[in-house]
Amino acid sequence: MKVIRSMVLVSVDETSLEHGAQDVFRAFLDEIDKFGLSDQIAVTTIRDAGIHGDTPLVIVYPDAAVYGPVRVEDVHTIVEEHLYKGNIVPSLLAMMHELVPEISWMRRRQGTLPVQKRIVLERAGIVNPESIEDYILYDGFQALGKALTQMTSSDVIAEVEKSGLQGRGGAGFPTGRKWSFVASTPGNPKYVICNADESEPGTFKDRLVLEGDPFSIIEAMTIAGYAINAHDGYIYIRGEYPLAYRRIENAICQAEAHGLLGDHIFGTDFNFHIHPHAGAGAYICGEETALIESLEGKRGMPRARPPYPTTYGLFGKPTVVNNVETLANIPPILRNGAVWYREVGSPKSTGTKVYTIFGDVNFTGAIEVPMGITLREVIDIYGGGMKNDKKLKLVQTGGSSGTIAPASLQDVPMDFDSFRNAGVSLGSGALLVCNEDTCVVDLAKVILRFFRNECCGKCTPCRIGTLRLYEIMCQISEGKASLLDLDLMQQISEAMSEVSNCGLGQTASTALLDFLKYFREEIEIHIVDRVCPVGVCPISGRLPELHPVS
Amino acid sequence: MISLTINGQTMEVPENTTVLRAAEQAGIVIPTLCNHKDLTPYGGCRLCSVDIQGMRLPATACTMLVSPGMVVHTESAALTRYRRTVLELLLVRFYDAGYTQDGTAKPELDTQFAHWVRYYNIDMKSAMARGPFRQIDSDPNPFIWVDKNKCIMCTRCVRACAEVQGRFVWTQAYRGYDLRIVAGADTTMLQARCESCGACVAHCPTGALDNKMSVKLELPDRTVTTICPYCGVGCQLYLNIKDDASGGRVLSVSSNSKAPINGDHLCVKGRYGYDFIHSPNRLKQPRVRKYLLEGSTRPEKRGPWVEVDWNTALDIAARGLCAARDQYGPDSIGLLTSGKVLNEENYLMNKFARQVLGTNNIDCCDRLNRTSIVDGLTASLGVAAMSNSMQDIVDNARSMLIIGSNVTENHPVFGAKIRQAVLRRGVKLITASPMFFNIEEYAALAIRYKRGSEAMLLNGLMCIILEKGWEDSKFVQERTQGFEEFKAVLDKYSIGEVSRTTGVPVKTLNLAAEMMAMNRPMAAIWGEDISQYTDGIQNVKALANLQMLMGNLGMPGGGVAPLQSQNNSQGACDMGGLPTAYPGYQLVTDEQARQKFQAAWGMELPAKVGLSAPEMISAVDRDSMKALFILGENSMADEAGHSIRQSLKKCDFVVLEEVLSSEISRYADVLLPSVSFAENSGTYTNTDRRIQLVRQAIQPQGEARPDWKIISELVRRIFSRDKRNIPEGKYAGWEYESTAQIMDEIAALTPFYTGISHARLEKGDSLIWPVKSFADSGTSLLYGEQFPGRKGRFMLDAESLAQANS
Repeated sequence: MKVIRSMVLVSVDETSLEHGAQDVFRAFLDEIDKFGLSDQIAVTTIRDAGIHGDTPLVIVYPDAAVYGPVRVEDVHTIVEEHLYKGNIVPSLLAMMHELVPEISWMRRRQGTLPVQKRIVLERAGIVNPESIEDYILYDGFQALGKALTQMTSSDVIAEVEKSGLQGRGGAGFPTGRKWSFVASTPGNPKYVICNADESEPGTFKDRLVLEGDPFSIIEAMTIAGYAINAHDGYIYIRGEYPLAYRRIENAICQAEAHGLLGDHIFGTDFNFHIHPHAGAGAYICGEETALIESLEGKRGMPRARPPYPTTYGLFGKPTVVNNVETLANIPPILRNGAVWYREVGSPKSTGTKVYTIFGDVNFTGAIEVPMGITLREVIDIYGGGMKNDKKLKLVQTGGSSGTIAPASLQDVPMDFDSFRNAGVSLGSGALLVCNEDTCVVDLAKVILRFFRNECCGKCTPCRIGTLRLYEIMCQISEGKASLLDLDLMQQISEAMSEVSNCGLGQTASTALLDFLKYFREEIEIHIVDRVCPVGVCPISGRLPELHPVS
Repeated sequence: MISLTINGQTMEVPENTTVLRAAEQAGIVIPTLCNHKDLTPYGGCRLCSVDIQGMRLPATACTMLVSPGMVVHTESAALTRYRRTVLELLLVRFYDAGYTQDGTAKPELDTQFAHWVRYYNIDMKSAMARGPFRQIDSDPNPFIWVDKNKCIMCTRCVRACAEVQGRFVWTQAYRGYDLRIVAGADTTMLQARCESCGACVAHCPTGALDNKMSVKLELPDRTVTTICPYCGVGCQLYLNIKDDASGGRVLSVSSNSKAPINGDHLCVKGRYGYDFIHSPNRLKQPRVRKYLLEGSTRPEKRGPWVEVDWNTALDIAARGLCAARDQYGPDSIGLLTSGKVLNEENYLMNKFARQVLGTNNIDCCDRLNRTSIVDGLTASLGVAAMSNSMQDIVDNARSMLIIGSNVTENHPVFGAKIRQAVLRRGVKLITASPMFFNIEEYAALAIRYKRGSEAMLLNGLMCIILEKGWEDSKFVQERTQGFEEFKAVLDKYSIGEVSRTTGVPVKTLNLAAEMMAMNRPMAAIWGEDISQYTDGIQNVKALANLQMLMGNLGMPGGGVAPLQSQNNSQGACDMGGLPTAYPGYQLVTDEQARQKFQAAWGMELPAKVGLSAPEMISAVDRDSMKALFILGENSMADEAGHSIRQSLKKCDFVVLEEVLSSEISRYADVLLPSVSFAENSGTYTNTDRRIQLVRQAIQPQGEARPDWKIISELVRRIFSRDKRNIPEGKYAGWEYESTAQIMDEIAALTPFYTGISHARLEKGDSLIWPVKSFADSGTSLLYGEQFPGRKGRFMLDAESLAQANS
C-alpha cells in the first residue's frame, strides 16, 4: 500500500485556471513521476483557496508552504528542492499580504510542523503507568518540585497564563485565567476537580492519558491545588473506564507513599489530597456543574449559571474544573517554561491537541499534533486517506455535540480561533470522518437519538426539543415529513441553542443546523422526492418518475 | 441596594434579589412556570428567559441575581418566539384528559400553565398530545390525585416536598425525554413516607397533582378566607364554595399564599379534613329524651331520642337546668366549654355560668393539658401563653428544645417550619421524649427519658449548666427572683442520680447542656407529654426555670412555647373558661375584678373558686353535681374514660351541644345541633396569641344553629322562666346580633383584648395579644423589657424538693 508523506494542492478557481493552473497541475504530476515520488506524494486540486493575485497557488503539506504564483517552469524547482530534498524554496513563496487570511496564516506556520509533536502523550506507551519510579525517571514530579520549592502560587498562575494554554474540554477557556479567578475569589476551602468523565462519543484522548500516564494528572492537580491554595482535589472518572480508575487509585497510593501527595509534599507546608470518584454512566455528568452536583451526591443535573464554579462550585466553594488533557499540559509547561510552550501551535492557540480519528479512514486512532493543522492533513496523512478511496463528504468535529465541516472546509487550520471564524468547533477533538455513502438524515437521526437519551431532562427546550427533533428526523427518513417540518426544526433548534440551560442543550442541535446549512438539498430530496440519495433511509413507497435513479 | 434597569425602568432592589423578583416589584410580569416564591430557584422551564445586556445568550430571570448597572429587557420578538416554542414543546408531552368520567365536565383548568398557553395564543386542545401516555390517577394516595400526563417537570412538587414539608417524597427519575417525577424509588406516595400535606398539590402549576376529593367536581363560585379548625397553629385557608339551594357546599380547601402563619402550606387535616361539614351524620334537628316530653322519671339508660323543634328543646333544657339550680343550688350545675369553639362563644359560656347560673363551675375541655400551662407559667413568668411567635422561633432561634411534643403530627405546619429551620439555617434541634416522635429525624440530639421524669431531666440539665457556669447571670440577677433558693436545691442533685432516674446517659445530658449553652437563643417548645400529667405544672415551671437561667426570655428566637392542642385552647382560657378566672385571667377571688364584672353584668357574682373538670366529674359521683351543660366537647376523649362514663351515666341532667354525635351523646338528655366552623363567624386565638377571624362560608346545615345563638336563646328562656328581667348593667344584656358585638363586649372587659374588634381583623390587621388599644398592633414578643409587674420567679415544687432531699 502506498503511504503518502506529502501532498501538493493546486488551486483551480477561476483566476487560477486563467493563469494556467491546469498546466501546472499536469507539470507536477510529470515531475513527481520523474523523481519517482508518485507513491509518496499525492497531487490534488483545491477550489477555495480564495481569490487573490498570486494565482495559481500551490500548497505543500505537511509543511504548509504556500507557493505562488507558480508557473509551469517553477514546478521542477519545487519538486526537486522541496519534495525531493526537503528544502522549502523561499524565492517562490507567495507574498503574505496578497493571500487570503487562511492561507497567509498557513505560510507562517511553514516548517514548524513535525509529524506528531507529543506533549500530552509524551509518556503514554513509554512508561509503566503503574510505576512511580518510571514516571520520575521520565522527568516526573520535576514540575511539581519546581512549583513548590521555587515558585509562589501566583508565579505558577502567571506561567500558565503566559503559556496561552486553553481548556481542552471543548470550550477553550484560558486555563490561567480560570485559575487566577479562583485564586482571587474569597472563600475557603477551594477545590480542584479533574473532569475525567470523557463521554463524548468517539473521544478517547483522556483515557490514553489516564491509563497511560496517570501520574501526570496527579502531579498537575497538585500543582493546580498549589496555585489556587486548595487542599483537596477530586477526579471524576467515567464509570466505563475501570482500568483508568484503578491506575489513578494506584497512582494516588504510590504518590502518597513517596511523599509527593498528601501532607507536607516535598517537605513543604503544602498539603493536597486527591479523591477519585467513578461516574455512573451519564453523559451529562461531563458538564462541569452536573459533575459537581453528582460529586455532591445529588442527581447529575447542570446548575443555573451564573454563578460559575469559579465562585460557587463544589459544596458552594470556589472550584477549578479542568479537563484531563488540559491538566496534562501543565507539568511540561512548568518544566520547560511558557516560552517553550508558545512555540508549539499557532500564535493564538498554543500547544498541541490530541485528536481521535474515526470513521471512514484507513487508520483510526489518536494523534497529538500542534494546534493549527488542517483537516486535510489529518485525513490524508494521519488517517492514511479515505477508506476504499471514497470521497470525503463531511467531518464531524468534537463528538456528537460538535459541528459539521463539509469537505469544502478541510483546509481551515484547526485551532480555536480559525475554527470559530469558520463556524466549526474544535470541541473534544473527536473527528468523525464520513464518506459519500453517508446519508445526512441517517447521521442526524443517530446524533439526535443520542441527545434524546442523554439529556438530563432539566430544561424544556432540551428535554422535549431533542425528542421532537428526533421524531421529525425519523419522519423525514421514512418519507413522512413536509417541508414545513424543516422550519419547525429550525425554530426548535433556535430555542434550544438560545435558552437551554447548559452546553448540552445549546449544542444538541449544532449538527442538525449544520446539516440544514450545508446539506439542505439532500434533506429536501428526502421530503419532496421521497428518495434517499444514498439509499440508506427506509423510505417506503415508490420512487418518483421524474427522477430515475441512475 | 443595587440599582438596575429593566425595560428602561431604573430601580433599586436589595442584594441577592433575582431579576424575576426585581421585575415583580416594578410590576413587570415575566412568564414563569417552575419558579415559586417559597422554593429555591430551579431554572428548568426556561420561560422566564430575558435578555441581559452583555450576555451572549438570554438568561433565566428566576436564577439570575441582579448586579449593579444591569440592563434587562424582558420582551423582544425573539424572546416571544422562544417562549412560544417552549410552551409548544411542553404541550407535546402534555395531555389533559378532562376527567369527565362522572359526567361533570370541568372547564379548561385555570392553572398557571393554561394561563401562559392562552397568553401566547396557543390553542391547548390542538397543541397537546393526542392521548394519554401515562396512567391517569396513578397513585392510591387517598387525598392526592396524580396524573403525570399533565406533568411538565417543573419540579415544584419535588422542591415543595423537600423544602416546605421536609419530607423528600417526590424525586426525579429516569433521564432525558423519559424523565419523570416519582415518589420514593418509584413506589406509591404513602410507601415513600408521604404525609399527605398537599404541599405538592398547592405548588403544582398544571394540575398534574390535584386534590383527589375535588378533582372531578365543578369549579367553585366563590372563595371564603377562614381559619383551620384543627390544631393551635391557626392556619388560614380558603374554603371553595359552590352555591346551591342548601346555602352552599364546601368543594375543597386550598391554601392562601397571603396567610400570615402558614403561607401556601397546610397539613393533611386542614387541607383534606373538611368532609365532616357535609357528613350525613351531622345533627340537624334538636333531640330530647322521650321521658322529658312525657314528664316521667328518667329511665336507667335515659330512653329513646325524639326529634323536636328548637322551642321544645330549649324549654326542656332551661327547665332541667333551673330545676337543678332551684333544688340543689347553683353549684350543682357544671359547664364545660371548649377549645374548639369561638372566643365569643367561650365568653358567653363564662357569662352564662357566672351571671345567669351564679356558679364558677366552668372549665374548658383541655383542663389537663392547658391549665398546667396556665398555672405554671402564670406563677413563673406572669403570662399564660407562648412568649414568642412561631415564626420568630423558626427565623431566629439557634437551637430548639422540643420536649414531649409530637409536633409534626399534632402541629404539622409548625413541625414543617421547624424542619425548614433545620434544613435552611442548620438550627441545632434537641428533642426529648419518652417515645419516638417523627421530628426526632431532624434532631441533632435526641434524648429518650423515662415517662414521668421530665422535671428531673430538666433540673439535671440546669445542674450541669450551673456547674459549667453557662447560666446568664446578668439576666438572673436583674430580672429574676428566688434564684438562691432554687440553686440551693439544685446543688443537692447528683448527675448520676438524674441519669439513673431518667434513663438518660450522663454523656447525653452533658452534650445537651453544652448544645443549649453554645447555641443561644434557644426556644423551649413543649406539648401534651409535658403538661398533661399530674405533675404537669412542675414540668412547666422547670422549663420556665431553664429559660430564665439561660436568659432566653424576652429575646427573638428564645422563649417558652407551650403548644395548644386545639384551635382555640388559648382563647377558651383567655375567655374565662376556667373555674378560677374571669376573661383575661382576672381571678374570681380578686375582689376588684369581681366588682368590675358585677358592675358590667349587673349581678352579684360568686366569689368561691369553682370546680375544675375532673372535680365536676367526681362531684357527680358524690351526688353534689346534678346537671352538666357541655359545649362542643367530647369529654370521653379528654378525661379518664372509665370513671367519666360511670359519672355521666349517673348525672341527672346533661345538655350537650354538638356538631356530630359522639360517644357522650348517649349520656345526654338534650342534644342541641351546633354548627361547624364553616357556618359560623367569630374569632379563634391560636397558640402564639394571634387572634384571627373565622368567616361564615355556608348556611348552617339543617336546623343547626351557632352556639352563641343557642346560649343566648337558652339564657333568655331561663330568665323568663325565673320571671326576672335581664339585669341592669352595661354588659348585662343577651340581645346579640352578631359575634362582632360580643367581641366588643370582650374588648371592654378583657385588658389584653382591648384593641380587638372584628372590623380591625376584617381590615386585615394581624393582631397578637396583648393589644392594648385600637391603635396598638399587638405584641408578638413577651417579656421584652420586663415580666409583667414583677420579676420572673424561679419556682420549685414540693416534689422537686422532695426528690432533691431524698
